Amino acid sequence: MDRRRFIGICAGSLAAFTLGTQRTWAEDFRDFPRALLIDANGVPIRASDLSTEEAYLFHYPHKGLPCFLINLGKSAAAGLTLSGDPLNENGSSYRWPGGVGKSSNLVAYVAICTHQLSAPSKEASYMRYAANGSELAGDTGKIVCCAHGSVFDPVNGAKPAFGPATYPLLPIRLEHYPEDDSLIATGMAGHQLIEQYFKSYKRDLIKEFGPGTYRENVGINTVTQLLSQYSESIPAC
Amino acid sequence: MEQNQDLSRRNFLKLSAASGALAVGGTTVSASAFAKTVPSGKIKAALPKAKGPRLVIVGGGTSGLTIAKYAKKEYPKFDVVVVEKRDMYSSCFSSNLWYSGVINLEFLADHSFLDAARNNNYIYFNATVTGLDRAARKVVTSEGEIDYDFLVLAPGISYDYEKIGVKDVGVMTALRQTYPGGFISPTEHVTIHRKVQEFEGGVFVQTVPSGNYRCLPGPYERACMIASVIKKNKIKGKVLILDANPQITIKQTGFHAAFDELYKDIIEWMPSSAVTGVDVEKKTIHTEFDTIPFDEAAIYANVRGSTLIEHLGLMAPSTKSNQKEADIDTRFYNFVGDPHVYVTGDSRPHPYSKSANTSNTEGKYIAKVLAARAQGKEIAWVSPRTVCYSMVDADPLEGISVDAGYDYDPAKDIITGFSKDTKTFEARDEAKGKATLEWARGIYRDMFDA
Repeated sequence: MDRRRFIGICAGSLAAFTLGTQRTWAEDFRDFPRALLIDANGVPIRASDLSTEEAYLFHYPHKGLPCFLINLGKSAAAGLTLSGDPLNENGSSYRWPGGVGKSSNLVAYVAICTHQLSAPSKEASYMRYAANGSELAGDTGKIVCCAHGSVFDPVNGAKPAFGPATYPLLPIRLEHYPEDDSLIATGMAGHQLIEQYFKSYKRDLIKEFGPGTYRENVGINTVTQLLSQYSESIPAC
Repeated sequence: MEQNQDLSRRNFLKLSAASGALAVGGTTVSASAFAKTVPSGKIKAALPKAKGPRLVIVGGGTSGLTIAKYAKKEYPKFDVVVVEKRDMYSSCFSSNLWYSGVINLEFLADHSFLDAARNNNYIYFNATVTGLDRAARKVVTSEGEIDYDFLVLAPGISYDYEKIGVKDVGVMTALRQTYPGGFISPTEHVTIHRKVQEFEGGVFVQTVPSGNYRCLPGPYERACMIASVIKKNKIKGKVLILDANPQITIKQTGFHAAFDELYKDIIEWMPSSAVTGVDVEKKTIHTEFDTIPFDEAAIYANVRGSTLIEHLGLMAPSTKSNQKEADIDTRFYNFVGDPHVYVTGDSRPHPYSKSANTSNTEGKYIAKVLAARAQGKEIAWVSPRTVCYSMVDADPLEGISVDAGYDYDPAKDIITGFSKDTKTFEARDEAKGKATLEWARGIYRDMFDA
């Protein structure tokens, strides 16, 4: 690891992290210890090598929290003010900063459906990025949840485009380092949903990651792989 | 004989004494069971004093549990009590999948009323509703009466055996016990599961009633699941669907394809074959034209609003509902003329699909209506949504689905039918088969988790 990237990763790691603290959407993004996106062999992901055909899966900021990294193949919207969970009394609006990368073409979201918390596991993922369209989404380039037909638009902060979800997928903040084309995850918004997710999936998460492990921070690296390599089954609704 | 009577009298006295002691200790419930001199209606339910407007919800099914959770979220001042007569949850939705072994009983039943209540800050109260005093805003239960500011009744459906020509109460009872429809209670599911697993051959009849029955695709899906077991076990048997309707009522193309392509010699579908009577002894079912012998059966009688709605005097006139459903406002669900009493879920008179996803989405909207009204406001009507998967093959899993909304006509104040954005996905595939399971898991998460 070169020195600059090392510093890049360490810069935010002093930020205090206490899971369960009620943070508000109004605070926008919350810093989490920075993590470099690496492949299964430990080599840093190069943004320009990313496929536009499907989403990549990585865990951040916790070991048990699945996120999508998507190469849109085009620019994402240049930042938007979005509304979060309307039933979260701590506030509901946040600033989504748009894409990163050479042409602002890279975005990342927590891969948990905000409708009824469907999320990828090693066994299956009912959430996927349907680059080339799907029966449910109709349109190309949407994130689709098979469970009840929620469709999200990754170009526009993963706003709900169709179906029962009423607010966007939670955004993950990325930084892109042009000198080596690497990507670092630095924070997220809307942490309250994560508490719900951990509670709802506790049994499954203990099975997949071990007791308590799913809540730990990922560390300075996080493995990033195609969703189809991570989940055994991806129903293409 | 005399001794026995004496013994029982003594025991009774002992019990009475004990119940008196308990009553002194504050448990009035035991007293009510023995001391007839205490009118049950005067006993207060053992509940803490309401800390805000009390919202009592009767029925812990999809409608009741969704409303309980979201009403509390929408208006945290609500003091919410769910009155449920069951002490153990098991869903009616997805129960067909158990018959073919796609899921186990835990999938349906490993969800606790206690956890749902604790996670979502309301009270689960295990009791049966027996009466209602709307003037005094009291609901009477087997465990005492409860004062309410808002009352939601979500008691589901009852069967209407008279509509399939069974008027004799003895025959009705025999039918209910021996050939249950399997669209209300968990104990019916257990019986049907046994029947399917023990089926060794012959004719297994699945009837489909007319009218707006619960879970339109349910009987056809069940026929597929039973047929998949027959196919897998290489049994010399068939599933005979006696359908009161001239056409398959929903996802027609998808079900016809499954019947023809997967179960050609196993499923026989007979349209326009309304059941007009059943001879339980002879094991024959009568339709207008035929007498059909059967070896095993799941007889799905017509559906009506829960008998509780009728008993509490909330039933709509037959001009408004020919299924004895509730007399409520089309958009806001309150009993006509009473803004404190609501009827939701499958006892509503609307032409909505009587299904879990409808009640789940409707429940979220009704939670908003209640929150608004508790604050003296009104909100705009929103259509419920019916996202509904049906499994047509058990191995490999293959499903079909529908995503429907509804239109409201303000001039006539009625629901006119499906909205324009209604879509069906009738090409069966594994993706939809797997999604069928995740669909259910999502609704469980929504109802039981925080």
